[in-house]
Amino acid sequence: MFLATKEIWHNKMRYGLIIVTIFLTAYLIFFLTGLAVGLGRNNRTAIDQWPAQQIVLSNYANQSLVASTITPQQVQAAGLTQKGTPMGQTSVVVKAQGKSAKIDGTLFGIRWNSFIAPKLTAGRLPRQTNEVVVDDGLLAAEISRGDKITLNGSKTLYKIVGVTHDNRFYTVPVIFTNLSTFRQQRYGSDNVNNISAIVLRHKTTLKGDDLVQVSKAALINHIPGYTAQVATFGLMIGAMILIIFLTIGIFMYILTIQKISLYGIMRAQGIGNRTIVGALFSQILLVSLLGVVLAVLALGLTHAVMPAKVPFYSNWWLTLILGALNVLIALLGGAISLPKILKVDPLAAIGGD
Amino acid sequence: MALIELHQVTKTYGQGHKAVQALKPTNFKLMPSEFLAITGPSGSGKTTLLTIIGHLQQASSGSIQVNGQDTSTYSTKQLTKLRFNEFGFILQASNLIPFLTVSDQFKLVDRLTTKGKLSQTPTALLDLLGIGDLKDKFPNQLSGGERQRVAIARALYNDPDIILADEPTASLDTSRALQTVGILAQVAHDLHRGVIMITHDTKLLGDTDGVYDMRDGQLTQIK
Repeated sequence: MFLATKEIWHNKMRYGLIIVTIFLTAYLIFFLTGLAVGLGRNNRTAIDQWPAQQIVLSNYANQSLVASTITPQQVQAAGLTQKGTPMGQTSVVVKAQGKSAKIDGTLFGIRWNSFIAPKLTAGRLPRQTNEVVVDDGLLAAEISRGDKITLNGSKTLYKIVGVTHDNRFYTVPVIFTNLSTFRQQRYGSDNVNNISAIVLRHKTTLKGDDLVQVSKAALINHIPGYTAQVATFGLMIGAMILIIFLTIGIFMYILTIQKISLYGIMRAQGIGNRTIVGALFSQILLVSLLGVVLAVLALGLTHAVMPAKVPFYSNWWLTLILGALNVLIALLGGAISLPKILKVDPLAAIGGD
Repeated sequence: MALIELHQVTKTYGQGHKAVQALKPTNFKLMPSEFLAITGPSGSGKTTLLTIIGHLQQASSGSIQVNGQDTSTYSTKQLTKLRFNEFGFILQASNLIPFLTVSDQFKLVDRLTTKGKLSQTPTALLDLLGIGDLKDKFPNQLSGGERQRVAIARALYNDPDIILADEPTASLDTSRALQTVGILAQVAHDLHRGVIMITHDTKLLGDTDGVYDMRDGQLTQIK
């Protein structure tokens, strides 16, 4: 560490630029990964929150919640009358009373006492038919708790009495209502007793073949566009990470090779490989750690200033894994030059005839 | 006992009809407090001999003893340790680490030495060489003569028995060169070390105890 810190301190500009380079590339990885993960999550967080294993859908919906309709007769025929909890899903446009902004949302009609009722971050659960709970993503616009809203231009006004977090489906915030409101919105009448799905805590046996039960993962993968979107962003981010990591690795290799003559002098003086290699790796570790720590700080700052409507998400585990990979690849870049360092000829430092 | 003793040492580069004998069978001995010089034209094999003595490269044949110990069976690790403990190198080009100040060059030795308390402090050595005020300077802030004197102090600091100096005056004017050779003689005679200096400048041989001439790989004692 003595040699490593002395060299960094002596060549402040050079190592400062290297730290800035690692900081920028690590931040780019964190930021773009955060956007891709955020967008992916926005499709599914409402489903992720269900403490459920299986979801029963119409067999004709191709495992897609948005395409599923289940009639009361199908529920009865499948023997599901007493099992799970029903839910309905439909797309809505939300508009607050007296305000102009229209916001896309997804309506989840549920029973308030069921196990898929949302956890509230503010307010209370509805007590009356025209009360709703909304995801806080909806509050980013002109809407706030206590406001009255219309759904798809409805004459009925619905009061926002509760707020929940991380409840998005198909990238838009979820508006939780009772099943009656869902039926009004989806079928134009609450006399139609259809639902979209039955959510089950555990797998069950279904009678007949009108209905099918799918896992949460399958349900998520059949959200329209989700799999293609995740695969596309995954490939883009993966390729970017690979290229950046290769660049950092090559960068570290070149940096090390440039110092071969210095290692020759050290070897001539009788300084062992252990000291030389230790100095090299502690230097790479210091420089890459500093760059990654700066990138993590910048990520924290990004989190603080990022508008809520931007689908940005990062967590400590993801950041830790990407940061650790960054440091590891930098060390690997140094390691590639290891054979050259170990074989460095001290005679090269001597010169002469 | 000789500090270093070479018996029938040779060095050949290449093989078969392309083989070049850089060092013909050589016998050589360095005693404590002895200051020896090796002269000769460029390409004659002076540095080859010095690097073999300093265990920076292996001889093709013959044996070398350091303080009575045959080093022919030493591993790379043992040779590195031997170089650090028994030899002090002063090279043509400055062998100082460019990002360490003069005092840090000595701190590095402190961190690596296994000899415990060394006989001289860096301050005493730098004062002895007349450069006590350069402690906080980096090598690139020193003149050629100052760099060579720091290199001498650095070479002496770990209490090596043998100092190997390869053209230590190459970058110095005549008065500085004479002064540097005087210091090496002082190191040999007052500090009881063995010093071998390679030079092609015959004006610098006055303070030496013995002079060898190297021509086409053949070493001959001329003084």
